[in-house]
Amino acid sequence: MKFCISKEPLFTSLSSVCGVIERRQTLPVLSNLLFTLTLEKLIITGTDLEVELVSSVIEDLEVSEAGDTTLPARKLLDICKNLPDNAKITFSIKNDKATVTSGKSRFSLSTLPAEDFPSLEQISPDTKVNITKGDLKTLFDSTSFAMALQDVRYYLNGLLFEVSPSKIRTVATDGHRLAISDMDKSSGVTAEHQVIIPRKGVIELQRLLDDSDEGISLELSSNHIQVVIGSIRFTSKLIDGKFPDYERVIPVIGDRIVSIDKEILKKALTRAAILSNEKYRGVRFTLTENNLSIQAHNPEQEEAQEEIMINFNQAEFEVGFNVNYLLDAIGCVGEDVVELGFADANSSCLISGSEERNNRYVVMPMRL
Amino acid sequence: MSAKQRKIIHCDCDCFFAAVEIRDNPVLADKPVAVGGTPEKRGVISTCNYIARKYGVHSAMASATAMKLCPKLIILRGDMNKYRVVSQQIIAIYREYTNIIEPLSLDEAFLDVSNSTNCKGSATLMAQEIREKIKQKTGITASAGIAPNKFLAKIASDWNKPDGQFVVLPEEIDDFVAELPVKKLFGVGKVTAEKMTNMGIETCADLQQISNFDLVKKFGTFGDRLYKLCRGIDNREVKTERKRKSLSVENTFETDLQTIEECEEKLEQVYQKLLTRAGRIEELPEIKTLFVKIKFYDFKNTTIECPGHEPDYDVFSELLEKAVKRESKAIRLIGIGVRFKEDGSGEHQMELFE
Repeated sequence: MKFCISKEPLFTSLSSVCGVIERRQTLPVLSNLLFTLTLEKLIITGTDLEVELVSSVIEDLEVSEAGDTTLPARKLLDICKNLPDNAKITFSIKNDKATVTSGKSRFSLSTLPAEDFPSLEQISPDTKVNITKGDLKTLFDSTSFAMALQDVRYYLNGLLFEVSPSKIRTVATDGHRLAISDMDKSSGVTAEHQVIIPRKGVIELQRLLDDSDEGISLELSSNHIQVVIGSIRFTSKLIDGKFPDYERVIPVIGDRIVSIDKEILKKALTRAAILSNEKYRGVRFTLTENNLSIQAHNPEQEEAQEEIMINFNQAEFEVGFNVNYLLDAIGCVGEDVVELGFADANSSCLISGSEERNNRYVVMPMRL
Repeated sequence: MSAKQRKIIHCDCDCFFAAVEIRDNPVLADKPVAVGGTPEKRGVISTCNYIARKYGVHSAMASATAMKLCPKLIILRGDMNKYRVVSQQIIAIYREYTNIIEPLSLDEAFLDVSNSTNCKGSATLMAQEIREKIKQKTGITASAGIAPNKFLAKIASDWNKPDGQFVVLPEEIDDFVAELPVKKLFGVGKVTAEKMTNMGIETCADLQQISNFDLVKKFGTFGDRLYKLCRGIDNREVKTERKRKSLSVENTFETDLQTIEECEEKLEQVYQKLLTRAGRIEELPEIKTLFVKIKFYDFKNTTIECPGHEPDYDVFSELLEKAVKRESKAIRLIGIGVRFKEDGSGEHQMELFE
């Protein structure tokens, strides 16, 4: 196997697939990338057994001898990154050694056989969702922060992706707060469909998206999601589990609704957070007539108090929250005014923009 | 808290590790037996049977010293996994009586049986049954103390050891503590006991003569606790879940370390051990302090600590150097560890899905 390629197309390709490689590996071959070389193109594959990224390169490629092998991902990426711009790089693989040369640089890397590289099974999609890159990015960015991390309730370690013919929705929750984002767009599906994309898949897919109007098509099978974006093919397994009945935990809010300028609230919370308990992050909200007071204190007995004028004339009450959960949610409201809806000190708070309600956030209180 | 009289049992196996070994190898029954490290490797006795105790052997003694006192002493390596299995069997027996169990070690626990209906509510009979069941199921003997609080129950379990039990009824507390030597009080070690002897205090009755104010002046916050203990008062609850307060590891070296350089060299392996242990804990609490403990060849200890949020090698190395410089003596043991922040904030996040 022998070929020559320019730095730029190779680096672009390597950096788009390398993210999936876990730093600590149980299986040595998973630290490597699969290189499959035909006379016309080079295909580079990376996987962590859950998510697979495949990138094809045809630009600036001269193939002398086709073949396949696997090469250490991280080292190759770092070498490539540090070569001069427009460098020509030659790869020559013999036995279990790969020789990489460029100008006066020469590297000998160890390889592992291509046969040992695990490929995800062929997927046979039964549903196709049409969406733009920008819309998918908005849906993901508005909700993915609320996904659980290594929760025993494994179905929470991912993002619920729900489609119907005229609507797409994403939902994420870690059991303490919940994020929902809706988009009323024709999706091209004929029936309702619900899948849970694992955390890693969501993060890798987010890296491939941008704000453009370019249409993409998500292919879903019963256990995989696949999408081709530019020269990259992304495939992820799906989480096989039942997402909790999230509609049930969205509170029905009566009169205790307050509207607050987003920036004012965000800044006040950020300042109060400085003196909250580093671990629990609790802040106390006290709502009295036309006034919201936010208080925080830490184990060193330092205290913060913020007051914001609001329009409120219900019975006064107190409730505590993890300030990080509030800031995460408020940061995702795409409007200038946020609306906070409360029930009582033991019930969740509903956060959304004051005009559209595409994004809704539910935050459970803390007992302080 | 309700004013209802509590019933606490302190249950403690008799020379646990040694007893398990003798059970599995009955030939040892009439010989002096200990579990611990070998004298060649500068080991320490962790438990020994009563025959060995007659020679003056006791736990935490250097194995070499023990061998001098009792040349026929059989020192066994010990098998923690085996002891753990026995310990689980014993805890299962406790569970038949109450769910409020506070294990202190593999073989020692407090049981709150105040609301238990077994044996018509008689804690004395429950303790009797528990000890019989332990003997039947595991083949080793245990002793128990029964009292209205943890402090008295713990002292009582030592009263008729081995294979016995002792009850302190609520109306007997005053007489019981009056006679009690102060060195039996938890927290009163050699130094405090000496201080007290100098003050003419031998028993709790003597201690009761001193005002709370004077005790605090003399012993600091411990004085307040002493004031209560010498009157048999102890309101601590039996805690089913014990919060981990610190994490530490230590190595005893085959030959004493003479120089700082040698100590530095060994620090690396102790440090790795700490990281491995820390890695095994699922949710590591927030770290408050780092500390280094060293033991000199003459068993004198010194501990030095400083604030810190993560186990930092360089910090341990600095602390070690300071500790070593405190005495110009050869070093037998190096221990390092972290203490955790206490979780007293009372903040609690509520769940969306119960």
